[in-house]
Amino acid sequence: MSEEIIRIDHVSFQYKGSKEGLLSDISLSFRKGETVLLCGASGCGKTTLIRLINGLIPHYYSGEYSGEVTVDGRSIRETEQYEMAGIVGTVFQNPRSQFFSVDTDGEIVFGPENIGLAPKDILERKELVVSEMQIKKLLGRSLFELSGGEKQKIACASVSALLPEIILLDEPSSNLDWQAISDLAESIRRWKEQGKTIIISEHRLWYLKDLIDRVLYLNEGKVEHEWSGEEFCSLSEKEVADLKLRPVTIEEKYISAFTDETGKISAGGAGRSKEVSGNRVVLTDYYFSYDRKFPLKKVKKHIGETNNACDGCSEPDCPKEHLESLQLCIPKLSLSKGKVIGVIGRNGTGKSTFLRCVCGLEKRCTGVIEADGKTYSGKDRLKLTYMVMQDVNHQLFTDSVKAEVFLSMENEDEKRCDEILHKLGLLEFKEKHPMALSGGQKQRVAIASAIAAGAKILLFDEPTSGLDYAHMKQVGDMLQALAHAGSTILVSTHDPELLALCCDEVIQIENGRVVYYS
Amino acid sequence: MRLDPRTKLYMILIVSAVVLMTATTPFLWGVRILMTMVPIALLFLEKRYASAVRFLVFYGVALALTFFFLSEESSGILTAILIGYCGIVVQFLPAMITAWYVVRTTKIDEFMSAMQRMHVPDGITISLAVVMRFFPTIKEEYMAIRDAMKMRGIMFGGGNALKMIEFRMIPLLFSCVNIGDELSAAAITRGLGGKGKRTSVVELKLHIQDWCLIFLFTVAAGIFVAGKYFL
Repeated sequence: MSEEIIRIDHVSFQYKGSKEGLLSDISLSFRKGETVLLCGASGCGKTTLIRLINGLIPHYYSGEYSGEVTVDGRSIRETEQYEMAGIVGTVFQNPRSQFFSVDTDGEIVFGPENIGLAPKDILERKELVVSEMQIKKLLGRSLFELSGGEKQKIACASVSALLPEIILLDEPSSNLDWQAISDLAESIRRWKEQGKTIIISEHRLWYLKDLIDRVLYLNEGKVEHEWSGEEFCSLSEKEVADLKLRPVTIEEKYISAFTDETGKISAGGAGRSKEVSGNRVVLTDYYFSYDRKFPLKKVKKHIGETNNACDGCSEPDCPKEHLESLQLCIPKLSLSKGKVIGVIGRNGTGKSTFLRCVCGLEKRCTGVIEADGKTYSGKDRLKLTYMVMQDVNHQLFTDSVKAEVFLSMENEDEKRCDEILHKLGLLEFKEKHPMALSGGQKQRVAIASAIAAGAKILLFDEPTSGLDYAHMKQVGDMLQALAHAGSTILVSTHDPELLALCCDEVIQIENGRVVYYS
Repeated sequence: MRLDPRTKLYMILIVSAVVLMTATTPFLWGVRILMTMVPIALLFLEKRYASAVRFLVFYGVALALTFFFLSEESSGILTAILIGYCGIVVQFLPAMITAWYVVRTTKIDEFMSAMQRMHVPDGITISLAVVMRFFPTIKEEYMAIRDAMKMRGIMFGGGNALKMIEFRMIPLLFSCVNIGDELSAAAITRGLGGKGKRTSVVELKLHIQDWCLIFLFTVAAGIFVAGKYFL
C-alpha cells in the first residue's frame, strides 16, 4: 500500500452563522495516487470536505472547527493558504467565477506567477500543459467567449500548470454537455496516469465509472458507506437509487441521443407536423441571426414564397450564404400542448438561442406562436411565455415571495396568490425574502410568478444543473405536474436522467436547426 | 501597435490633468484637440473602428456646436441645455476616450506586470486588476437581469423610477457579491496574495513608439501649461 498523503483526524466543522453542524467527527485518510469519489445529496458536506483539504477552511471560510487536517505532511491550520497553492489544486463548479484573468493565456500562467516562479520556467510549464491537454486553439482567446466546456478545460489547465500533487474537483461537470464531460474525464485520466491524488465531489456519476478507485458516500456530515470502485459500479440500479444518487449507468439510448449524428435524422421523419389540430402549439418562421444587419424579414419572405410545405426538419430553400449566418432556422415546428418537451443538443449549439427566441426576448426574431387558435407575435410572445433562467437569482426582484407574485399580477389578488403558492408548496414562505430560500425554492418562486402572469408556455433553461438526484426528481415531478395543469413545458437540459424522468417528447437542436423530434 | 501599459497610464494622467484646465485661446484649443486625436488614432490602429468613429463624431459635433452655433449671446432653455451638454463633452470626453482605449486594449496581466515594475504595492495592483476583471462580468449579469425584467414586463418599474433602479440593482448586487466571493476563493487557492514576490511572464519594454508618445504628451502638456499660465 502506498503512503498516506491526506489525513483527516476527528474533524467537526460548522459554518459561522449556520446552526447545524456540517461535518461531525470525520476521520479519513487518502493514499497517494488514488482517485476517490465523494458522493451524497446536496448539503451532505462534500464541498466542505474539499474546502478542508485545500485550506479554504479555515483560511477563507470561517466557522467552528475542531480536529486536524494534514496534507502532505503539513497541518492545514498552521500553513498559510498560499503555501498550499503548489500542493493542492482545485477545479470549481462554476466556470463563470473561477477565472482571474480575462484571457486564456493569462489564466494558465496565473498560478505559477503567483508563487513567484521565474518567467522562463512558467512559459515552459505553459507549453507542457498546452501540448498535454491539446488546447492550443484556445490560446489567445477571451475567456468570456468560450463555451462552458472550454472554460472548464482552461480551469483544468491552469490547475495543472501549478503541478500539484493533489487535485480536487468540486462538481466539475455541472454545466457541461456530454462531449465536454468526456473531455473532462480525459483530463482526469491523464492526471491519474501521472500519479496524482484526485478527489472528486460529484452528482453525475456515469463518466467516472472507469476512473475511480474508491467511493465515499456522505450523509449528514458523516461517511456512511465506503466501496471500492469495482464494488460501487456493480451496485444494482435500485441500490443506487435508494442511496438517492444519480444513476451510474445511463441507458444507451440517451447517450446515443447525445452523440449519434446520423441515425436520428432519418429517424427524425417523425418531426413532420403530425396533425395540426387545436391541441398543438405551433411555432412558425423562427429565424434568427446575431448579426444585427442580417435581413431576417427578407429571408422569411423568401422562404415563405418558395417553400410552403416545409416541415420541421428540412432545410428551407434559400441562398446558401444566408442559411449559414442564420443561428436559428426553424420554419415550422408543431409541439404537443400540455407536455414536457426536452430540448437537447451540445453546448453552444443554439438551445438557449432557441428558448430566447421562443419567448420573444430576441426582438428581431421573426417567429410567430399559434396556441389555442390565437396567434402571438412580437411582444405578445413575452406574455404567453415565461423562461425560468439557469441562474434564477437574476429574476427575483422583490423583498418577499408574496410581492414577487403580486408583481406579475395586474391586480393584486391575495386569494389567487395563496392558491398558486399552495400548489407549489411555497405557502409557508409567503413572507420570506426570496434570496433567503434554497435554490429549488427560488426556482419555484420564479415559476409562481410565471403562473401569476398567466404564462401558458414555460421554458426552463438547464433547471437541474448541479442538482442531486432527489432535487432533480423533485424538478421532474414538478414539470410533470405543471404539464398536467395544462402548461406546455420546454426544458433544455444536459441531464439524460432528467429526460428519462419526465420528458414526453424530445427535440434535438444542432446548429440552430431541429434535427430530431419525437 | 502595441504600447507599454506604462505609456498608457502616463497618457491617462496627462490627459486627465489637461481636461481639468480650460483652454482659453485658439492655440490652446489646438493643443487639446491634438491630444484628443491621439487616442482616437490609436483606437483606429487597434481596429476598433466602431468606437473610434463614434468618439470622433461625438467629439466633432460637440466642438462644432460650441464654436460655430453657440455663443455667449445665445439664449433660451434649449440652447442653455445644449451649451451645458457640449461644454461637458468637449471638456471631459478626451479623458474618457483615453480611459476607454486603455481599458479596452490592456490585458490584465500586462497591467499587473506594469504596476509591479513601478513598485506599486500588490494590494493596490490586485484590487485594480479585480475591478478590470469585473467589468465584463457586471455587463453579462446586467444583460441577464434586463432580460428577466423584459419577461416580467417591469422594464419601467410600473412608472416608478425608484423601483426601476431597485429592480436592476438588487439582483445585480446579489450576483456580483456571489461571483466575487467564488472568484476570490478560486484565486487564493492558486496562490494569490502570498508573501513571496509575484513574477510575470509579460516582458515589458518601452519601445520607440512609447518614447515618442511620452515625449509628445509631455511636450503638449508643457505647452498647454506654459501657454495658459505664463504667456
